[in-house]
Parts: sequence; C-alpha cells; structure tokens
Amino acid sequence: MNTLRMTTVAVAAVASLMAGAMQVAEAASTQRIEPAQIEMGDSARLIIAASGSDASTISPPMVAGLEFVVAAQSQRIESINGVSSTSMTVTYQVIPQEAGVFTIPGAARGSAPVVLTVNPSNGRGATATGGSLPLAALQARASTLPAGSTRVSANGTAFVRLRLSKHELYVGETIPVDIQVGMRDGFVASLNGLPTLNGDAFTLNKLSSQPQRAEEIIDGRPYTVLTWHSALAAVKPGQLSLTVETPLTVRMRTAARPDAGVLDDGDIDDLFNDPTIQSFFGASTEKDITVASAPTAFTVLALPANDRPADFSGAVGNFSISSDVSDDKVVAGDPVTLRLRISGTGNFDRVTTPMLHDVDHWKTYSPTAKFTAEDDIGHRGEKTFEQPLIATQSGAQSLPALSFSWFDPSSRRYVVARTSPLNVAVTAGTPAFQGSSTAQGSSTASLTPASSQNGASPAGDRETRGLRPDEVITGGTTASLMPHYYQPAYVSVPSLLLAAFSGAWFWMRRREQITLAETARANQFPQTESLLASMDEARAAGDTTRFFQTARLALQVALASRWQVDPASISLADVEVRLGASSVTARVFKLADEAAYGGANLPPADFRWWKQLVLREIGNEAMS
Amino acid sequence: MNMKTWVLACGAALLSLAALGGASWAGTVDRPVIPSAYSAPALYDLGNFYARAGRPAMAVLNYERARILAPTDPDIENNLSHVRESVGLPALHTSWLNRHIRLANPNALYWIGVLGFVITGATLLLRRAGAKFRALLAGGAAVGGLMMALSLGDAFATAPTLHEYVVMAETPARTSPTSAVDPLFTAPLADVVHMRDEHEGFALVRDTQGREGWVARRDLAPVIPRPDSPTDASALQEAPR
Repeated sequence: MNTLRMTTVAVAAVASLMAGAMQVAEAASTQRIEPAQIEMGDSARLIIAASGSDASTISPPMVAGLEFVVAAQSQRIESINGVSSTSMTVTYQVIPQEAGVFTIPGAARGSAPVVLTVNPSNGRGATATGGSLPLAALQARASTLPAGSTRVSANGTAFVRLRLSKHELYVGETIPVDIQVGMRDGFVASLNGLPTLNGDAFTLNKLSSQPQRAEEIIDGRPYTVLTWHSALAAVKPGQLSLTVETPLTVRMRTAARPDAGVLDDGDIDDLFNDPTIQSFFGASTEKDITVASAPTAFTVLALPANDRPADFSGAVGNFSISSDVSDDKVVAGDPVTLRLRISGTGNFDRVTTPMLHDVDHWKTYSPTAKFTAEDDIGHRGEKTFEQPLIATQSGAQSLPALSFSWFDPSSRRYVVARTSPLNVAVTAGTPAFQGSSTAQGSSTASLTPASSQNGASPAGDRETRGLRPDEVITGGTTASLMPHYYQPAYVSVPSLLLAAFSGAWFWMRRREQITLAETARANQFPQTESLLASMDEARAAGDTTRFFQTARLALQVALASRWQVDPASISLADVEVRLGASSVTARVFKLADEAAYGGANLPPADFRWWKQLVLREIGNEAMS
Repeated sequence: MNMKTWVLACGAALLSLAALGGASWAGTVDRPVIPSAYSAPALYDLGNFYARAGRPAMAVLNYERARILAPTDPDIENNLSHVRESVGLPALHTSWLNRHIRLANPNALYWIGVLGFVITGATLLLRRAGAKFRALLAGGAAVGGLMMALSLGDAFATAPTLHEYVVMAETPARTSPTSAVDPLFTAPLADVVHMRDEHEGFALVRDTQGREGWVARRDLAPVIPRPDSPTDASALQEAPR
C-alpha cells in the first residue's frame, strides 16, 4: 500500500507540474442560463465557459429540484508564440422537477451564480398539441418531457426511466414518451434487448434500434443514457401502473472491496470499484440482469358513450381536415382524384374514412390512404385519402361534403368536422380512351396529382389509345378473388356431399342384403320361422334353457340344409370341426348343453343379443 | 319413411344447401365498390383508370383480377393486351385449357359442379333403389357428370393463377436470393410472372419468356390478393409513367 500511495503522490506531482506549465494564460470563467425563466415541462440551458486554470474546475452543479444533463462539451488548446491557453465550454440541459426560484452556484471557479425561475405549468405541458412546429423543434420538445423518477438498480449499475407529458389519458389516446436506459460507464457490458412494457394495458410504438445517446451525472457518478422516443397508448380504462424493463449484462465484483482505511479518497475508491479495473486483475464476472423502471401511475379514462358520432372510428387527438379534387374541369368519363387530408396529432392508425360511395352522376372507386409523419414517433403528421372518381354525366356536378369525427382529449368532447362540397364542371366530349387527340389532352390534364404535376408522358399517352370504354358496374360482387375451389370452407361442401351419398349407398346396400337374407331364409327354411317364434316366447318367459335349445335347433335346421344331413345328427363336435370352436354356432350349442344340465339365467338384453346372432348365422347360411 | 322418400329428401336438402351457397355469388346488385368486395366491371374500370393515369402495372393487375371473374370478357382481354403492348411486353398468351374450359366466373362454375354432383349422386341412388325411368336417370347422371367435369376443368385451369404475380417495378432477377450476385435479367414492368418459391424477401419467378430468377418480393403483387400480403393500391406505389 505504501508503494501505491507513493505512486499516487508522484502522479499528482507530475500533473501539478504540467498544469503549472499550462497556467501561463490568464484564468477566467463565466456562467449563464438561457432562458432565465421557464415553465414546468420546459428546459433551460446552462452554459459554463472557463479558460486557463479554471478550465479544469468545471463540475456539474448540484441543486435540489433541478436535473442537469450534459448536452455539449468542447475544449480548445491554443499555443501562440509559445504561450499556451486552454478553454472549455460545457452546456447542461437543466430540467426542473418542481416549480420555484433556484440559485445555481458557480460551476467553475470564479463563475457567478445564476438564478432560474420555474413557473408552474399553464396546462400546455410538453406535449406537442397544436401549431405546426418544424421537425427539429418537435424532436427538441420530445426530449424535454418532464423527468420521471430515477430508480437506480440495487447494485447501482443501471436504471430505466420514463419521461411522460401527462398521466391522465383516454383509451386509444397516444402520448409521446421517452424511455431512457442509464448505464454506469464501465459497469454494463451489453444491452441485451430493447426496453419492453410490463403489462398488457398499454401499447408502445416500435422503438428505433438506434437511440439517442447522452451523458448524465447522477449522485456524482457518470451514466451513459440511451433515449428512445416513442408513443404510448392505453387499451383499457382504470387506475393503471406501468413499468418498463430492459435486459442487461453487468460486470459484478467478485473480490473483496479494498480497505477504505488505506486510501480514504472517494475517487480512488471508485477507481478500485470499477469492474474494468477489477477485470484487469481478474476480480469481476458478468451477470445478466433485468432492470425495471419505477412504477408510473396512470388514470386511463374511457371514451364517453354520449354524443359519440355514428362514423367515429376511434381516432383520438387533435385534427383538422381539408379536401380538394385534382381538377375542377373534366370531360365526362375522365378520371379525377378526390383527396381528403387529415392532419394533426393523435393515433393515426385509427384515422379512417369510407370517403364517398353511391353518389349520383359519379362512379366511385375504393380509396387509398397514405400517412406522412412529421415527427419520428408517428404522433404528428398528415394522412391523405385519395379516391378515384369518374363523372358519368356532363354539366355542373357537385361532390358532397366529406366528414370525419374524432375525440379531442383536451376539450373532452367529440368533434365532427366537415369539408365544403366541391364543384366540378363536367363537359361532354369524347373520352380520352377512344383515341381523340383533343380528349387525350383533357385526360392527361385530369389525371391523378402525380401525373398532372409531372405532365403527360408519352408512355401514358400511348396507353390511353385503343382502350375500350368503361363498363357500367352491375351484377354481384364477391368478397374474395380466390376461387371457391381453393377455399377450405367451400372444399368441404363436395366432401360433405360425398359422405352423404356414400352413407346412403351403403345403407341401401345393407338393406338389400337383409331383405335378401330374409327372403332366402323364408324360402329355404320354412320351419325356422316357427322356431324363431318359439325363441321369442322363451325370451318373454325368461326360460334360458328353452331359448338356447330352440336356437340350437334352428341352427341345426339351417346347417342341415347346407351340409345335406339330418338336422338331429349335427353335434357340437361336427360344428367345432367345420365351423370352429369359437364360432357363434358352436357357442350356442355349448350354451344349450350348459343350460340343459346346469341351468342359467340370462338378462333380457342378452336374450336380444343372442337372438340377433342366431338370426345373422341363419341368414349367412341361407346366403351361402 | 321408405328408402325412396329418404333419398329424395336428402337430395332436396343438398340442393337447398347449394342454392343457399349460390346466393353468395348471385349477390345483390349495385353494391358500393369497397376493398372487401370485387366485381369484374369495377376491376375493369379500375384497370382503365390506371391505364389512363400511366400506371401500367396497376392496370395489368386490375385487368388480371377482372379476368378471373370474367374470363371470356373481350373488353378486358383487349385492354390488357393493349397495355401489355404499350410497355413492350409480348402478346397475351392464353392456354388451350383457358380458352376452352374457362367459360364463366369460377365461382359460378364451382356451384354448377356442386349441382352436377348432387344430380349424379341422386340419380345413381335412385337407380340403385330400383326407381322407374332408368334411362332418364342415366341421362341425368350423365348431365351431372358433365357439369362436374366442367367444374373440375375450370379448377385445373384456374390453379396457375394462384401463383401469378404482377411485376410492380422493373426488378433484377438473380441466380440466388441475395442482392450480392449479378442479375441474370430484368423482370419487366407489368409482366405477369409465376412464383415457384419464396425465401427471405426474395421470390423465384418464371416470366412469360420462360426465364427464371430470384427477384425482390416487394416488387411483386399477387393477382389473387391474400390476407397476409399488402396488395391494395396504397401499398403499391407504382410511379406514374
């Protein structure tokens, strides 16, 4: 330890000598804050400039209620005629965590304190809810969402933090959110995945694979902070809580911490705790952990059921609409494009409209939609619906007004906006596709916007020649172009038919066989009928012995006809030899003997079963 | 209930089932054209719209779709041929099977086949049951068989359409599904190709000239839209020509 202390002292001495050599220029430092007065939800910039010996004395300010994030840092070293000078400028982003008047002490030696006044929010918040700000301004605003609480993991290596503009929102409403993952420099080996929501009550837009990177000092320790900008939406109402978590691999110390009594200095102690240094000495290991943010409480309100417009599609936000048509003078039969633009902020995935259909003197086609985002999270932008139309009758035609409804969370009510009807002058003339050069000019002038802006291309002109005219849309429609042959639901119809016909076929065949057997039996064994009747009488009386003896006699009669012998001469042995010991006939013979000598009691169901077996045997003999 | 009555009741029930299903394609008239419903005239008109707008691939796609529902419509064939020629594609080739078997809307032919099946099955059962007019029943079975054959032939003729795609943008065709290799040829705009395989964003296709190569899947649009494939006009941003 003594050797180490001597080395430290020597390094400090060399550093002092070098610093002394640099202190040839005059030391000076300044500090200013811009703006000096802000509202909650906004942020200010603290710019500290120091030169000479003061350049190395800049340290992050520590003010309760304010958070300082390094936004920029620059250092310049000049040597003019052998005279060296050093200057450093550090810019901090100052994010207020509460309203009040704050005095920020000089962050560099010799700099004067500055005062920052933070007024309570006027309700505007940091969310971009109106106006038309450029993208850069929007991004800047997105990054200045109010800071959430920072809960560093138990081992102090990382944290996950949410920055939100509000905590009360409606179902379906999207709000900008910043997800920040702070990683202690040197302690986190890798980020093993994107942050994910914990729970199913919220949805999050897709996160970029390249987050913004910044440095931040928390409790005097440096963290690299990755920030993802996204949009959050709730899917169900209620008092809800949300956490975000992310998987990390951190380096953990395995060796015992050095005794602080020897090097009682915070910086050197921290140096020894740095896993990178420890790894060098083989005293650290890597471990996968999941770091979660502190729970964030939300009040999610259901959309009111009262006054809900019939065409409400679930859009929540603040929108404005406008419509136009690609050309207000067309030839009948020429296509025009009706456009509806819906712009603003909100959940654009729920912004839909059926546009027009069943309009007199117009043929309508299915519309298309295209969304152009004005920010990087898809929260602000413009969705354009384009619908091809063809006028079927000349004259002054009018396209009806289009409407769109949404729920405005700021005013807490539904809004229905309508455009004005559009007038189109339709002149009678030869449609372009019939080959008239004049008509072709009209056609290309009234094409979709892209065509009309680009002008008519030769290829486009060539295509319009020789086309046969449009047809009147009549007849039925089908939900799918996939032929029924290849749709499982329809394939099952012939299969069911086949099964039904097969079943009917076999049923008929079986009936025919039974009928045939009965006929043959009646013809060949006249006395069998009386024996069967006797079996029924025995069954009714519950006389097992008589039942089986009658059954044996009926079988003997049937076999005698086939074997051309006297029925009385057929014994059990003959049957076992010719039909097998396990045949029904042999079993009947055995049961008849057993019943005659030992007696037996069959339940009624067994009587029926044995009679069916005997009948089948007699039928088989008749068929053979 | 005797056997003949049972067979007749069974046949009547099956005919009712077929008629009920047939109502889905008979449909109602003048329904609005919405993306979830297709009709041959609407697709034909949409093809015309895109042809006039200088977007041949979209035009061909809609004509091909219209041709599925109305395979014998001369207007569709004329305009499709015209657009193909205008972008330098070979003349439209129609196979023998398509010319002689595909006589109507495949869904109508499907139900004709089902009806033929019912007629054939019912007449054979009646003959088996020993009904009178056996010659008439034999004739009915023959007619039913013909209807089934017609339907089966149409099913075979329609099968290749399941794998047909329209080239929405000129795209290089390569020997393997990667952009790292040199292209073999360029699949021309608006051509209809036959997809044989698919692999990680690439599709192995054969064009109308019999050439095969791997092209980017995003440059193709299926003639028969599938639920898992973006096929509407909003997803296919063909630049006007």
